[in-house]
Amino acid sequence: MGLIEWARKRSPWVLHFNTGSCNGCDIEIAAAFAPKYDLERFGILRKGSPRHADLLAVTGGVTRQAKDRLIRLHAQMPEPKHVVAIGSCAASGAPFIGSYNLLGGVDKVLPVDVYVPGCPPKPEAIIHGLLQIIRRQDESK
Amino acid sequence: MTADEAWRGAGLEERATAIKVQSRRRVFVDLAPVDFKAVVAWLVTERGFTHVATVTGIDVGSEIEVIYHLAHGALVLSLRVAVSKEEPTLPSIVDLVPGATFYEREVHDLFGVAFEGNPDLSPLVLPDDWPSEIHPLRREWPADRIHRRLEGT
Amino acid sequence: MAFTPIPVGPQHPALDLESVNFTFHVDGEKVVAVRPRLGYMHRGIEKLAEGRTYHQNLYLVERVCGICSQAHTICYAQAVEELLEVEVPDRALYIRTIMAELERIQNHYLWLGVTAHQMGFETLFMYTWRDREIVLKMVEEVTGKRVNYDINYLGGVRRDLTPEAIHEMRKGLDQLAERTKYYTRVCKNERTVLKRTVDVGRLSPKDAEALCAVGPTLRASGVKRDIRADDPYAAYEETPFTVITYEGCDVASRLWVRCDEIQESIRIIRHALDTLPGGEISVRVPRAVPAGEAISRVEAPRGENLHYVRADGSENPARLKIRAPTLANLLPLCTMFVDMNIADIPLIIAGIDPCIACAERMTFIDPRKTAQWSWSSEELRRRSVQWYRKR
Repeated sequence: MGLIEWARKRSPWVLHFNTGSCNGCDIEIAAAFAPKYDLERFGILRKGSPRHADLLAVTGGVTRQAKDRLIRLHAQMPEPKHVVAIGSCAASGAPFIGSYNLLGGVDKVLPVDVYVPGCPPKPEAIIHGLLQIIRRQDESK
Repeated sequence: MTADEAWRGAGLEERATAIKVQSRRRVFVDLAPVDFKAVVAWLVTERGFTHVATVTGIDVGSEIEVIYHLAHGALVLSLRVAVSKEEPTLPSIVDLVPGATFYEREVHDLFGVAFEGNPDLSPLVLPDDWPSEIHPLRREWPADRIHRRLEGT
Repeated sequence: MAFTPIPVGPQHPALDLESVNFTFHVDGEKVVAVRPRLGYMHRGIEKLAEGRTYHQNLYLVERVCGICSQAHTICYAQAVEELLEVEVPDRALYIRTIMAELERIQNHYLWLGVTAHQMGFETLFMYTWRDREIVLKMVEEVTGKRVNYDINYLGGVRRDLTPEAIHEMRKGLDQLAERTKYYTRVCKNERTVLKRTVDVGRLSPKDAEALCAVGPTLRASGVKRDIRADDPYAAYEETPFTVITYEGCDVASRLWVRCDEIQESIRIIRHALDTLPGGEISVRVPRAVPAGEAISRVEAPRGENLHYVRADGSENPARLKIRAPTLANLLPLCTMFVDMNIADIPLIIAGIDPCIACAERMTFIDPRKTAQWSWSSEELRRRSVQWYRKR
């Protein structure tokens, strides 16, 4: 495999977007980057721009207002890209399912590669979920 | 004057249609729409009830109840006014308590109550392209009816 | 007031929003006016609550906000318990108080780190989030969770404090007290911090009251108002503590209020542990709630939280209204921007401790230059750090 392939796989950069989360998942993602769990040691960095991201980590069920922005962000990401739905809301919308302003989980709008369920999932689970993407890429070779 | 004493007086008691002292800290007062702003003015300017905690709307069938929760120390004094669903209008109190601006807008979004004198009743919690006839917290709009209407079915 | 606040966006953790769009009207480097747009997180919780039982709604209410979930569930449970006319056992009230204060410490540490990040003070962010884990470990020991504790029942609490958990808690509180002293010193003396926060984002006491501000934002403008003292609930009436105020009316004061509040919370928890009553931790309650209405208020980490419940005798509430503290602080926030530099925006927003993960996008309009541009909150943050480095 080429050098670029190797580098891309070994350090996926993450764009984190909240489409309707209570923030519980967001703070556990932030905690995953803080000293105790230190996601950066896996080469995973948080990036503010979709143009630099390999992974889109989405929290929250998708509200009507957030839908278009979510699709646009995803479109701006260069290939190859992956989507990780973090938390039960991103997976299915629960417990807000049925709300007049909610479309559902992220997969109602985008193809999801990895689901990390939990309310919120612990940082260990989030790390595990993000590492699945790396493992998947290994296996696809 | 303590909060307990502050709300008692002609300014309120002569205009109230009902007073319920549920506990020392929770008092509910019913007012007619035509009297309600004068009572608020009296409470705010003369009796120290300057904090509006929030404004609650409730669909009770043919009417919308709008409840203003004014707080003073331990006491939450709730002023209840009912407006008809056909003509849900009330005078705004933002000239007395600017802090009530968003609470009125929220009730406007969710119940369709118009607050005359509030300079900005644009959507607060609902999206810009939300159909103006859908007031989500009115009983005639259950969630699936809203979904059907928004998805165009 | 000199200018008309245009609807400020962001936060209404009860119904919406973590993302908010701000539109700033600027004149060169100065902010003239601001228009926020809320609504991105509106999940329609109040409507959902009408279709569920009172017990099911505990889970819903817990997730109004992941950072202050205790504040919401205690508030909700209290309203329903008042309607049910049940007496919650004293031990449960003490446990609720302890968990609520742990949540406040966790919140203030989180906030300190985020605010430090906004200043470009990455080390402080890393330190505070490392120390925040001390609190999360304590919480996990008791509840099994780090976030969204799910510990409140209608009628009490779900889990008791074991002697081991109490022992760990005391050790953790000692550590936190030491760390907090250090962070307070930094916040009160560190030149970079002071440069970014003193006289920034001013909110006069008069404006704070007229705009119905709450919480540390209000107390940093000298107004001594705190629901735990004014309208006591849980075990606060039995617990001596000081309501912290500062007179500076700026972001620095909001910082110092929260630093001191952490120490007060530690004091409250220690007192509660020392005087923890024995007995049951919950009472059974019926599923249906007699008709009536109740209002409950708690002092969430961000300020006054209010729940209104209307019951009709059935198992579902006829109405649940939630007013979370950040909505109350949005109008005051608007006032704070006026005449400030663009570079001050991130810290002024941070100062009210908004329940925002990140303000999504900010638009700037400068009519004199007929320029309009957009920055993400991260871009603005970086520029602000650079702008201040040059001064």
